[in-house]
Amino acid sequence: MRKILMGAICFLLCTGIVHAQSRTVTGKVTDNTGTPIPNASVIVKNFSTGTKTSSDGTFSISVPTNAKQLIISSVGMEDVTVNIGTKSFYDVTLRQSEKVLSEVVVTSLGIARDKRSLGYATQNIKADQIADKGEVNVVNALQGKVSGVSITNASGSAGASVNINIRGITSFTGNNQPLFIVDGIPISNDVDRTNGGPLGTLGDNQPANRALDLDINNIESINILKGPTAAALYGSRASSGAIIITTKKGGSARNKAEIIVNSSYSIQGAIGLPKLQNDYGQGTNGIYSTNVSLNSWGPKFGSTPSVANGLLVNGNPVDYRAYPNNINDFFQKGAIFDNSVTVNGGDLKQNYILSASNLNQKGILPNTELKRTSIKFGGNTMIRDKISFGGSVNFINTIQKGILGGNGNSSLGIIAQIPRSLDLTSYKTKGTYQNPDGTNNWIIAGQDNPYYDAYKNPLTSNVYRFLGNVTTGMDVTKWLNVSYRLGLDAYTDRRKQIFAVSSGRVPNGQVLENTIFRSELNGDLIITGKKNNIFTKDLNLTAILGQNINERYFQSTQVQGDNLAFPGFYNVSNATTLTVGSFEANTKTRLVGFYGQMSWAYKNYLFLEVTGRADQSSTLPKDKNTYFYPSASLGFVFTDAFKINSSILSYGKIRASSAKVGKDAPPYLLDNTYASWAFGNNVASFTFPFGSTAGFGASTRIAPKILSPEFTTSNEVGVNLGLFKNRVSIDFAYFKQVSKDQIINVAIPVSTGYSTKTTNIGEMTNKGIEALVNVGVISTRTFRWDVSANYTRIRNKVVSIAPGVDNFGIPGSAFTGSIPSIKVGYPYGVILGGVIPRSNDGQRLINPATGGYQPLIANQVLADPNNDYKIGFTNNLKYKSFSFGFTFDFNKGGQVLSFTSALYKSRGMLDKTGVDRDKPHILPGVIEVTPGKYIDNNIQVAAQTYWQALGGLQSEFNVYDATVFRLREISASYDVPSDVIKKLKINGARFSVFARNVFYVAPNSLIDPEVNTQGAGNIRGLELQSAPNARTVGVSLKLSL
Amino acid sequence: MRRISIVSLLLLVMFTSCKKYLDINQTPNNPLNVPASTILPTATVAVAFANSNDLNRATSAIVQHIAGVANQTAAYDVYNLDGSFDNQWNFEIYNGAVNNLQILIDQNSANNPAYSGIAKLQLAYIISVAADIWGDVPYSQAGQGLKYEQPRFDKVQDIYQGNSGLNITSLFDLVKSGLADLTKTSTLKPGTDDIVYKGDLTKWTRMGNTLLLKLAIQLTNVNPTLAKSTISSVLTANTYINANNLDFEVPFGPSVGNQNAIYTFNTLNRPGDQMLSSRFLALERSLNDTVRLAKLFTKPNNVFTSYDNGSTAAAPTNANRSKYNTFFTGATGEAPIRLLTNAQVNFILAEAALVLGTTGDANAYYQAGIRAHMSKIGMTTAEIDNYFNTNPSVVTLSGTNDDKLKQIITQKYISLVGNGIEAFNDYRRTGYPVLALPLNAAGDNPNVIPTRLPYTPAELARNPNAPNPRPKTDVKLWWAK
Repeated sequence: MRKILMGAICFLLCTGIVHAQSRTVTGKVTDNTGTPIPNASVIVKNFSTGTKTSSDGTFSISVPTNAKQLIISSVGMEDVTVNIGTKSFYDVTLRQSEKVLSEVVVTSLGIARDKRSLGYATQNIKADQIADKGEVNVVNALQGKVSGVSITNASGSAGASVNINIRGITSFTGNNQPLFIVDGIPISNDVDRTNGGPLGTLGDNQPANRALDLDINNIESINILKGPTAAALYGSRASSGAIIITTKKGGSARNKAEIIVNSSYSIQGAIGLPKLQNDYGQGTNGIYSTNVSLNSWGPKFGSTPSVANGLLVNGNPVDYRAYPNNINDFFQKGAIFDNSVTVNGGDLKQNYILSASNLNQKGILPNTELKRTSIKFGGNTMIRDKISFGGSVNFINTIQKGILGGNGNSSLGIIAQIPRSLDLTSYKTKGTYQNPDGTNNWIIAGQDNPYYDAYKNPLTSNVYRFLGNVTTGMDVTKWLNVSYRLGLDAYTDRRKQIFAVSSGRVPNGQVLENTIFRSELNGDLIITGKKNNIFTKDLNLTAILGQNINERYFQSTQVQGDNLAFPGFYNVSNATTLTVGSFEANTKTRLVGFYGQMSWAYKNYLFLEVTGRADQSSTLPKDKNTYFYPSASLGFVFTDAFKINSSILSYGKIRASSAKVGKDAPPYLLDNTYASWAFGNNVASFTFPFGSTAGFGASTRIAPKILSPEFTTSNEVGVNLGLFKNRVSIDFAYFKQVSKDQIINVAIPVSTGYSTKTTNIGEMTNKGIEALVNVGVISTRTFRWDVSANYTRIRNKVVSIAPGVDNFGIPGSAFTGSIPSIKVGYPYGVILGGVIPRSNDGQRLINPATGGYQPLIANQVLADPNNDYKIGFTNNLKYKSFSFGFTFDFNKGGQVLSFTSALYKSRGMLDKTGVDRDKPHILPGVIEVTPGKYIDNNIQVAAQTYWQALGGLQSEFNVYDATVFRLREISASYDVPSDVIKKLKINGARFSVFARNVFYVAPNSLIDPEVNTQGAGNIRGLELQSAPNARTVGVSLKLSL
Repeated sequence: MRRISIVSLLLLVMFTSCKKYLDINQTPNNPLNVPASTILPTATVAVAFANSNDLNRATSAIVQHIAGVANQTAAYDVYNLDGSFDNQWNFEIYNGAVNNLQILIDQNSANNPAYSGIAKLQLAYIISVAADIWGDVPYSQAGQGLKYEQPRFDKVQDIYQGNSGLNITSLFDLVKSGLADLTKTSTLKPGTDDIVYKGDLTKWTRMGNTLLLKLAIQLTNVNPTLAKSTISSVLTANTYINANNLDFEVPFGPSVGNQNAIYTFNTLNRPGDQMLSSRFLALERSLNDTVRLAKLFTKPNNVFTSYDNGSTAAAPTNANRSKYNTFFTGATGEAPIRLLTNAQVNFILAEAALVLGTTGDANAYYQAGIRAHMSKIGMTTAEIDNYFNTNPSVVTLSGTNDDKLKQIITQKYISLVGNGIEAFNDYRRTGYPVLALPLNAAGDNPNVIPTRLPYTPAELARNPNAPNPRPKTDVKLWWAK
């Protein structure tokens, strides 16, 4: 076997066999106070290999015998060069300084690399940048900290999904979320939806993205590989970038067991609720009425009761007054209690880690919760200093309970339109939100009491997840290592959605039992060869040859029980119809990849890397299922090359890269199929079988005659600069990506008999600038102040779709009239809807007959969710044992369409609708008197007419500029000083207080623009009556025993 | 060298075993072929669903059987029609009906003509619906997948009369070809999968001949010769729907998912959107026809409560509104959707006798039509006789031919409550009954009752052959008066 492998290397790399010797060196890195420095870089000088110190500052690294020196560095510390002698353990002390640039990052395939050798952009996030900040979802914890990345959470609902796109969107209809890698293994970050009644995904409860299952406390570092260059070796699925997560490992050079206890408690509250008027109550046209609509267009509070104004009924005045907090009080105080214990021990070769954590969150919405329990065990061992074994298993149980949002009958749909005079708290208890027979008790027939909907119609998701990996590696010779890594991510998500009998959406009751299973098995064979001084002195080569197999399986089965026999028993056995909405869906895909990488380094200042990968996918036509894609990158540290030794320019690197990534198709697109048929939508529908008669029909998609992979080509140039003795570091990148031959189901005229045709078509480009600046403002022995700022600007453009196709809707649910779309010449995801016709000079046209606006022109660009640029800004201050940090971000531009805002206007709830309500109003616009000739609108209308004209759900008046400044997080911590620690006989103690989402300023938006009802996915910029965001404030204690 | 060959061999083995490993792309979720007996019910329901869903609501509002109170129906009521009906064109007509019917025809013409015959009759029916609503529509190139990726919009006159130069089979010939198929030997024959006639092909023959009558009467203004010859030959053959129990009506069921669209819309999902039109109520009162009206629309607390078309006044309390009665909704959605009826046939023959001079007595057909409808909706013989005895001037044709035509079409219009599409056809073709504009009319032309529906946004956007800009809703169809 060994010979074969060696032969393979000979054959494929055409390099000679060279014998080099290596040995293992360990050590510990501390600062000048003796505090261990975790995450410090340890790099073998003149070799592009390195490692990082563990949490207790220790390290272990294999060094070639011809290596002379180690370079030890850490952010904000001065580099130290250690001569390698005969010792095997080195104590290294770093002095605080401004050296910030030599950094080890974990790149593709889990390979630790000196960042200086990379020809492409990555960004590394360390544990202390995300832990103890009060965040539950690891994706959210990255907000504001990474350039080139866009992160938007769905809402503040417990466990709601978070969308992440790196360097924009590259695929029309495919998954645009980056690939998530945990300890070298790809894991699922999917969002699965369980359709909530007839409204489908427009009205569900915002289920989680599955990266939520990861415990932030257990993460050592996260490296973000931004472009396809960085991710080329992961293949197709990393074409949207990759998030490389490394979890904590046990073991230290001191070989001492350690127990770390982490405990935090935080409270949450809703933010971003607009100001409402408190002068007028329920009614229409100034007349009080209770059971017709939820309008707050009634008489003014304090009006003399009369029969005419509806306040006098049977001679008795009705109780009519404002309840200023009736909506705000619906949102409750949430709480998050997060505890974890980690035990780790061993030395650097044989070690273990065991951690258990539990998170218990009560949401800001009634009857919502998130519970996450995670148990992980991992260990590593080494046999005869040659063969290493390692692995970990992680069991996770995540329970999420959420309530319905979305337009119409949902808890959050109704809460956006509660009359100002309604005492909603009087409906809060079980005895009041339902009638004695358990049915919905509400002022309007056919509509849900928001409390009833929340308590009776929840969706629960119960995930059992297993993440496991094993790795074995062997140093075949001193220069050749062979390793195999096998990983499995499997989970079952059992969901139940209930619609109680008498609920507005499903009056006859419904029970959905949905079971989702997903697994991903991934194996990588990696052969690594290293040779220094190849061909000529100071030219070093690292070559990797690998093979990858990947199998993904997905199954979703659902039983939908309709027309329940009697209320109160929500089991499918209580249903009289089980045929509507019940289904089984399976997908299985397999991929085999072969890849290689050659990294050349010359004198540690010139770096060239080429990669190539050939994938075979099960989803492409059998005879054309192999596709190849290469990448190349070049890095040049010109300050070293030209021996520039200026105190101003301390470090300078330019880099350039080019990569192509192919992406296979979703499964099962190559055949024409039939399906059991259904007609209609939420207002009227028919579903087969019809009694006992089956009904099948041709699927609405027609299969392609040929299908090939889609490709994204990316070009990037960048520069890294260190100024003023590296006190200031700058990382700048410009990139351009072109995505072509998209595999999409393109819309075709339905008169063909089919709605869509699968084909390779279309082109989209992304151009962007990313900048990251770190400044060590002050650095003395006792006080440090570091500032980090990042900037991202991305311009996306849909260049073409298909001949004759100007636009089509992004797959997913949408309301006709506000459809997130792909439109030629516009950025991805513009929302198409009706706009008011304009005069020649752009003024809105008024209908002279009514004083209202002219009928809308359909299918126009209503909103563009893409922002102009984003800035993140983080400050960290440290004085002796005290640390203080805060992050704010600024998002310029982009738009959000808000149904909540529309309702606040049309229902007469917004504070402005209460101003001058009894006076006539004139809508802004012009009247066309003769063709081309206009006068200003002078037609007076009532306040109600005025605001209802401005309050159309899908109206341009409810599209808001999403510019927002946000104090994302603020935290302060105190490390108990080492002398106290020693007295307490513990290793360390840290006490922190933190707040997230502290406040925001959105000057042009009525609502918090950072919400997205449909959560993670390609649909953005729609707020369809969803939950508000939450502010979190908490404390945490970390003890190291 | 030996090493190299071993490695090469290893790689070869890996690649070959990959072939099998990767051969997993056959979907377990959907069949690649299905029997004809599962497609026929789908297509049939599609035809009925298209006739009873949004197109029916829009046309029923336009002809003022009902008035829109809220949401889309209220918009249709005042002719705000633009941007609507994508689902009807797409999923109901071309995906659901046309494509599946075309598949049935393609797959069964050779061996199972019983299926292709029924499919041709239904195809002719649904194409006539589309052509009557929109005018020029894809027909000869429709439902053929990638063969015609941008189907041509055939002229409505070519659809009705055929155009050999353009390879367009007339709807009459399509029906005749279907009727011929029904007489051929068929390996497979429909049974319970024929949800309308349970496999009784003679009843389908009646349906086909009746469809010829419906198609023919549409041409009174433009091709009376063809109309007359067609009707005369149907009369001679004497195999058409001539009894209520032979009606071409598609059944629905009482359980969730199987209910008809009138029920799911009016009773379940949008109970507040539409109700009895004040204008229809006025017409029925003027004809002393309220016994029949109470079968058509509910009468809560023994009072008809209607709403004026286009009104913006506060609507009456939901529970008090007069809405479609159980004749249309069934108790829980099981009422059939009636597409070609005995009553309709009698009114067609009355009109043909009057206008085209076909055989038979117009007045006799007229009275038979009224009786057929009254009986169909459940009036007792005594109630019918009483109506005839007390309203002789209503039930007897008198005056000029135009007066008589007005009487025929007015009664036909009453009999077509629940089938707004057919009432809309008659109105545009004859101008009867006389309708007034709704209040607050808007749309393409607020001064004209629409003479067609606007083409749908999706087809306009996707098909370069679609007439663009679309004709306004005041542009008359070829066969219109």
